[in-house]
Amino acid sequence: MSYFWKFGIFLWLILVFLAAFLWAPLAEGLGEYTRIIYFHVPTAWLTVVAFLIGAVYSILYLRKRQIKFDMIAEAASQIGLVFCLLATITGSIWAKMSWGSFWNWDPRETSIFILLLVYAAYFALRSAVEQPDRKAALASVYSIFAFITVPFFVFIVPRVYASLHPDPLVNPEGKIHMEGKMLMTFLSSLFGFTLLFFWIFKSKLELIKIKISLKERE
Amino acid sequence: MEPIYVVLVIVIVIWIGVFGYLLSLDRQIKLLKKALEKLEKTGNN
Repeated sequence: MSYFWKFGIFLWLILVFLAAFLWAPLAEGLGEYTRIIYFHVPTAWLTVVAFLIGAVYSILYLRKRQIKFDMIAEAASQIGLVFCLLATITGSIWAKMSWGSFWNWDPRETSIFILLLVYAAYFALRSAVEQPDRKAALASVYSIFAFITVPFFVFIVPRVYASLHPDPLVNPEGKIHMEGKMLMTFLSSLFGFTLLFFWIFKSKLELIKIKISLKERE
Repeated sequence: MEPIYVVLVIVIVIWIGVFGYLLSLDRQIKLLKKALEKLEKTGNN
């Protein structure tokens, strides 16, 4: 990715930061905590995007049996796990301030914790199998099944069970009730974070390319 | 703690996490590129 794009993404995110703290109004009932939405929600969103890309490349591997697809699936899942961890950590900081403790086993917390375990198991599986083709095939099948659980844990469980997690903006009807400036800041943040994800993903792809070249030369 | 500081802590955690990860990736890429260049040089000789 060129320096022009990197600088552009960085600048965009700084503008989002300024808009979140100085321009967007606060939601009723959430007060200053409204601003968390612009940073915590995109990390959760990117978790889903990354795991989806991981599942798609796993399907591609199973169809074409090219090791690069498995490497890309692993890269995407790793990025997904990083964003999932960030969403969990930032959520628990908020929980400490709002609910009094870092961890309450609220449905939202429980579901993201299980999701973390599901994807931690993906990496445990990868490190347990040595033979490359077998590792790739097993990991690909696991990744596809793991992704099936993602919508269930991220979107369904927290809405089926009563949760203390604030949901007034993205509500159960699936409608976003946000004031214009808030919605603009929120969408800009989602866009900026998505670009940031592709920056990381491109770096990962470059790393994979170099690893493949190194393997070929060895 | 004031809510605004909690939000700031959360933003900082995210930025440290994301940019720390990006920097570690960058470092790995540089190291592997050097190793590749070395291999190419020894291959040419």
